[in-house]
Amino acid sequence: MFYREAGQFKTTYAADQQVFPILQDRIGVAVILFIAIAVVPFVANDFFMSAIAIPFLILALATIGLNVLTGYAGQLSLGTGGFMGVGAYACYKLATIFPDVPIVAHILLSGIFAAAAGVVFGLPSLRIKGLYLAVTTLAAQFFFEWCFIRIPWLYNYNASGAIEVPGLTLLGVTVTGPAAGSIPRYYVVLAIVILLTVLVKNLLRGRIGRQWMMIRDMDIAAELMGVRPLYAKLSAFAVSSYLCGVAGAMFVFFYLGAAEPSAFSITLSFQVLFMAILGGLGSLVGCFFGAAFIWILPILLRAGPPMIGIPIAAETATHVTSMIIGALIVAFLILEPHGLARLWQIGKEKLRVWPFPYA
Amino acid sequence: MNRAVDPRDLAMDGDGLAKGEVLLEVKNVSLRFGGVKAITDISFDIRKGEIRAIIGPNGAGKTSMLNVINGFYTPQEGTITFRGEERKKIAPYQAAASGIARTFQNVALFKGMTTLDNIMAGRTLAMHRNFLWQLLYFGPALNEEIANRRKVEEIIDFLEIQHIRKVPVGRLPYGLQKRVELGRALAAQPSLLLLDEPMAGMNLEEKEDMSRFILDVNSQFGTTIALIEHDMGVVMDISDRVVVLDYGRKIGDGTPDEVKANQDVIDAYLGVSHQDEGEG
Ligand SMILES: Nc1ncnc2c1ncn2[C@@H]1O[C@H](COP(=O)(O)OP(=O)(O)OP(=O)(O)O)[C@@H](O)[C@H]1O
Ligand SMILES: [Mg+2]
Repeated sequence: MFYREAGQFKTTYAADQQVFPILQDRIGVAVILFIAIAVVPFVANDFFMSAIAIPFLILALATIGLNVLTGYAGQLSLGTGGFMGVGAYACYKLATIFPDVPIVAHILLSGIFAAAAGVVFGLPSLRIKGLYLAVTTLAAQFFFEWCFIRIPWLYNYNASGAIEVPGLTLLGVTVTGPAAGSIPRYYVVLAIVILLTVLVKNLLRGRIGRQWMMIRDMDIAAELMGVRPLYAKLSAFAVSSYLCGVAGAMFVFFYLGAAEPSAFSITLSFQVLFMAILGGLGSLVGCFFGAAFIWILPILLRAGPPMIGIPIAAETATHVTSMIIGALIVAFLILEPHGLARLWQIGKEKLRVWPFPYA
Repeated sequence: MNRAVDPRDLAMDGDGLAKGEVLLEVKNVSLRFGGVKAITDISFDIRKGEIRAIIGPNGAGKTSMLNVINGFYTPQEGTITFRGEERKKIAPYQAAASGIARTFQNVALFKGMTTLDNIMAGRTLAMHRNFLWQLLYFGPALNEEIANRRKVEEIIDFLEIQHIRKVPVGRLPYGLQKRVELGRALAAQPSLLLLDEPMAGMNLEEKEDMSRFILDVNSQFGTTIALIEHDMGVVMDISDRVVVLDYGRKIGDGTPDEVKANQDVIDAYLGVSHQDEGEG
């Protein structure tokens, strides 16, 4: 009734190729952006900002990174944690070597190091596919974890073996380190995530994104259309790792504040993979759904029982949470293999014909 | 049909050949898979502007021949000369770049993409804007996208598939998938179009539609077509010349009437036993 494209005729191809061709969708996105920019920081408390909003945005970006590679280009990867780590350590080194350069520049540059790493470890994808490729990305994961532990230069020879984020300012406001408030950190993260999401969306709807999907759906036919598998696969690895690298750098600089090598372990790789699968492979909006689900649900589960008066030991809560999340993922994959994004799409299709069951 | 299409718009890029000149020449090509001889010493040519059928019983080596022509397989012996350039080995994307497009025996569409995107995919080689412009989806990149979209829309009109423009092709019935695949190949504006059983599994009406499209592509866009097809009625109706394969060898070559009168061809189709199979 209200959600309908009837009467919204497209008279140019440019109008038809918009990201959100339906007016109601554009309004919806504007409202969400408005809430994210002008409402959340003013109504949310520090806990919500630091422990939920900021990591949610960062992990959503990492999920987009993985989704580019796995969901759009069809190359399975288990090295997400490692590539995030490369971004984080690169950013740390850049920030210590060039302390006067604005931190945002370092964050965006650090992704390039991750992209280079992604290209190198993406080379085997030219020969091998599927699970075998997953194993080589797993090798990347372990290789980087090893580097983070064994190469003291990477963590500036700190006795702790961890990287500690220095306090840096942006336009006179402290945005990193222990002294940084949650609101400035949130804004920097939000700006970077919005910027990169828009750029990725542009890639996906143009020639390059189509080439990735061609390789994913039918690599033989793709080659026959003139796609060079070398470029298509390696560019997917590069873009994907870039996004993961930026997410990793932000994860340390705006969320953790300090990180040991274990912060970028295989667990993180799997966490992001779950977000991508649960959100829906091959969907950008799904990345945000998936990240929200996997990141926020455990927090709710842990906070829930004490709030309604059920005493529960912290350790038990953690175990129970893992079990519930695991069960939910399995149930979800069985019931809706295309993820939350597909549910969202079905919901929209229903809404379009509402109040009738069919169009 | 195709009211809105200006043939000059979709015609293949000029290949500098006059109608009737040799466009592709296959010379003494042999292809083996281990011990299996898929193709044995085959020679034939395809002339500019014609519809050239390749026929033969199952396993005769027809698909293998197409795979050799567009670079999926490299023959052990023999050469292919396309537009005057002789080559022994070519990568599929190079074959595409030189003007060869094809459809597949088992539909090989990009299942997760819409009809529109599948046909846009056929224009990959016509799009060049670099990564940075693509990131912005603005200016030259957007103009390029729109210019190519316009071509794709002409093909969509030509094939009468406007109604499925935004449907993921995985959801389409088989006959329409075959049509979309033809559209994808046409989008590349090839000078040689290879069609591997474009009418397999179709009902009579769909076959008639497809025959009409093939004839229109040939006459309106001037595209040279090599066609593999099992339906003899169709083959004899729409092709200019026919080459007949059997057990990897060429057993006939000529106009439909000549081929129909050829005793070897009649034997092959009637299933006469092959005494000479073990030799050679
Ligand atoms: N990749 C391959 N590996 C091994 N053998 C192959 C391969 N491709 C084709 N062959 C063999 O080569 C021979 C010719 O096969 P091809 O697919 O070219 O036949 P066809 O004429 O297209 O038959 P159909 O009408 O059934 O499509 C067959 O014996 C087939 O088994
Ligand atoms: Mg075949």
